[in-house]
Amino acid sequence: MDIHLNQLSMVFDNTTAVQEMTTTIKDGELVSLLGPSGCGKSTTLMLLSGLYKPTSGSIHFGDQDVTKLDAEKRGIGMVFQSYALYPHLSVLKNIMFPLRMKKVPKKEAEARAKEMAELVQIGHLLDRKPGQLSGGQQQRVAIARALVKKPNVLLLDEPLSNLDARLRLEMREEIRRIQQEIGITAIFVTHDQEEALSISDRVMLMKDGIIQQESAPQNMYKKPENEFVASFLGNPPINLMTLTKTHESTVYRLADSKEIIQLPALPPEDMETVRLGIRAEDLFHTTENPLFQGEIIHIETIGRDTLIRMQVGSITVRALVDPEQQLQIGDAYSLGVRPGNVHYFHSESGKRLPLQMRGGNWHAKTNVEEHA
Amino acid sequence: MQKPTWKSTLKGYLYLLPALLILVVFSIYPIIKSFLMSFYTDYDFFSDTVNAYGLENFTKLFQDPNFITALKNTGIFVIGVVPLSIIISLAIAVLLNSKIKLSGFFRTIYFLPFVTSVVAVAIVWSWIFHSDYGLLNYILGLFGVDPIDWLTSPTYAMPALIILSIWKGLGFNIIIFLAGLQNIGNQYYLAAKVDGASAWNRFKSITLPLLSPTMFFVSIISIINAFKVFDEIFALFNGRPGPANSALTVVYYVYQKFYEEWEFGLATAAAFVLFLIIFLFTIIQLIVGKKFVHYN
Amino acid sequence: MRKEALSKGTIYILLSLGAILMLLPFVWMISTSLKAPNEVMAMPPVWIPSEWQFGNYSEASESAPFGTYFFNSIVVTVLTTIGELLTTILAAYAFSRINFYGKGIVFAVLLGTMMVPGEMLLIPNFVTVSNLGWIDSYEGLIVPWIASIFSIFLLRQYFFSVPQELSYAAKVDGCSDFKFLWYVMVPLAKPALITIALLKIIGSWNAFLWPLIVTNSQELRTLPVGLSAFTTEAGIKYELLMAASTMVILPMLLLFFVMQKYVISGVARSGLKG
Repeated sequence: MDIHLNQLSMVFDNTTAVQEMTTTIKDGELVSLLGPSGCGKSTTLMLLSGLYKPTSGSIHFGDQDVTKLDAEKRGIGMVFQSYALYPHLSVLKNIMFPLRMKKVPKKEAEARAKEMAELVQIGHLLDRKPGQLSGGQQQRVAIARALVKKPNVLLLDEPLSNLDARLRLEMREEIRRIQQEIGITAIFVTHDQEEALSISDRVMLMKDGIIQQESAPQNMYKKPENEFVASFLGNPPINLMTLTKTHESTVYRLADSKEIIQLPALPPEDMETVRLGIRAEDLFHTTENPLFQGEIIHIETIGRDTLIRMQVGSITVRALVDPEQQLQIGDAYSLGVRPGNVHYFHSESGKRLPLQMRGGNWHAKTNVEEHA
Repeated sequence: MQKPTWKSTLKGYLYLLPALLILVVFSIYPIIKSFLMSFYTDYDFFSDTVNAYGLENFTKLFQDPNFITALKNTGIFVIGVVPLSIIISLAIAVLLNSKIKLSGFFRTIYFLPFVTSVVAVAIVWSWIFHSDYGLLNYILGLFGVDPIDWLTSPTYAMPALIILSIWKGLGFNIIIFLAGLQNIGNQYYLAAKVDGASAWNRFKSITLPLLSPTMFFVSIISIINAFKVFDEIFALFNGRPGPANSALTVVYYVYQKFYEEWEFGLATAAAFVLFLIIFLFTIIQLIVGKKFVHYN
Repeated sequence: MRKEALSKGTIYILLSLGAILMLLPFVWMISTSLKAPNEVMAMPPVWIPSEWQFGNYSEASESAPFGTYFFNSIVVTVLTTIGELLTTILAAYAFSRINFYGKGIVFAVLLGTMMVPGEMLLIPNFVTVSNLGWIDSYEGLIVPWIASIFSIFLLRQYFFSVPQELSYAAKVDGCSDFKFLWYVMVPLAKPALITIALLKIIGSWNAFLWPLIVTNSQELRTLPVGLSAFTTEAGIKYELLMAASTMVILPMLLLFFVMQKYVISGVARSGLKG
């Protein structure tokens, strides 16, 4: 069953939480709604669940228009950030609850609840009360409760953010496993890019109630459609800077400084100023035609990587470099980048711009065509 | 939360309906009605018809020496009960709060009178106050005090009523004070101890100011309740307002006019005056409270 | 550490003295209720009756229809309590979980009426009840008391503490508002509901002025009204009067001993609002 959102809008008092959203979620897909807090991702989920009713627009589950349908009639399962288990009921009773509300006979409800408990591996905890469970166990119960009535869609509202780092990793694999095992369409809201990129088939990145980009995770990372997407994804964050054209048409300098930048790929020719984005891991040390030259002002070792900050004219550039190198603060250093790894964005709209290759790198060319 | 819709409004009022129905009929309507009734000067209860309105009830009221007595007695009662009751219950609450074993047990005992019927305990006290065979006079006699006519002499009827009322109401105040005391963080006391403050100074400069919101609440409730005293009198003096009207209070006066003399207009006017007095006191306390109460 | 103002021993002595004063009337009541007439008036007082006269209790309950009073008190207490719980649960739910037009105003008006002393409502309510033909009836004793603004506020506060996500979860699980209230909120609010019920039971059992004015016949008197009438009938038979008083007081004392945690927390909470 596909889910279609058509021109969906939600306005609270004076703020627009979701703005004319149109998209389709395919059957059996796990889609992440990603974005900073207040971007409208949770509101979108609430609209999908029927707990909120949209100001305008429509929602279709398959052929059925569910826009006006109440949550209890939509046949959805939902998992909440705080798990929202019924504190007065045992684990088994919690999982049985949706079935009991549907008047499923007690015997059958119990059997189905137990089966579901096995699937999420909490079969040994059935008699406990939620208060006696760890966060991870509670989340498993919440998932079982959401799935036990065989819903059409599984909605997950930041289900992992109350868990500690290690459990979060484990549970996100669990969620992916369970989702694929029963082949349910799932929509997963998160503010954690790593989470979104690692488990979803498709990511929708939102900002100010508008989808900025929807695509497969790697695609979104590799080819951000605008500056926001580029800056939101990636840790350490992408290096962004403004370039201004000099009197020579293929030579750019950093805005607010005289630093001339030797670019491996150029933005469209008619641009006077342009925004350049380069990820820290795409920069490498080179002395041959370096892109940036400057002084190392900061060195940080994160696990197996070494992150440096380098002063280049008036800006600082972050780069992940070979940890074997003996570097010291104050050292002069130079960095280069492969032509396909630079991103240009329109200096006002922030939209991605195609690249002009120097010397015709076919790989980068295809990138340009894809986004033309 | 989402904005109200007509659907949610209908649902909301449906849920409110049972409570609202009762409250409108028996709490809100009577407030308006009693305001109106106090202006009924000619009223026939049996046909529920009003023949004349006017301010006459109020002038009559203030010309009635009994009403003046009732006002005076109520005032004496309030002054007799409230400060004493607050001081005693605060002292007990502070003692109970001093981390001793059995504190729960004592709390239970002090609270017992609160759950008992006023009528029943007033009857028990009337036996204790008995001038010849009463327990109180016997105990006083051990200290060389001559027997007192607690319930039959106009001088002692009011003190007897005050003793009973303090005994009855102590538990409630203690519980409220205890809750207030337990809300005061220990860090203040530790800091004061480090500074070398004596126990009395700690009480004066930490407990009292930090307890002032509680104190404020207790005094408002105590004053309101004291103004409304009735059951105790009825039971203690066996259906009379004490010897020679010595325990005639405003509510008792209302009861007399209304239930014994069927003077509905006069009775509601008296009730209305009571309400105004209570209202005035609450307002005064709110104003005074703003100045002295430390809310943190 | 500095010396405390009072030693532990002094505190115990002071509290014990106070406790004795608080308990004395109850002890004296029970002691008198079990005495033979000649011991009642004995001076110095006899604390422990030489022979326990349990017959005083049966004599007291025969000399006035205490059985009927008891029955009436139970009927009135039970029905008012159930009624109040129902109206309170529904109203508290509306105020805490449903958004409707006029909610603020209705709430403010109810809050305002709490300021008005109940005694002022006595006379108009008497007129209303008599117009409804409810004088001297169970309806008259019960119906005016099956809603309480204080209880609604108390429960509303409690309902607010139930996280919003729980009601979302229940909706998704297929609960209508009413089912959510019944299957989730009510079980969760059990402590608050017990407190509300207990305060109501105590208040209803001990109520005096209202039952006094709306009942005329012996058949409908509640215990306190009956007991008050009995004082005239018993005259100076204090042992019977004390036996009757014990019958009125004892049920509430027992209830309180068993459930005191809830009663005290309810009273304490009413104070913390202030």
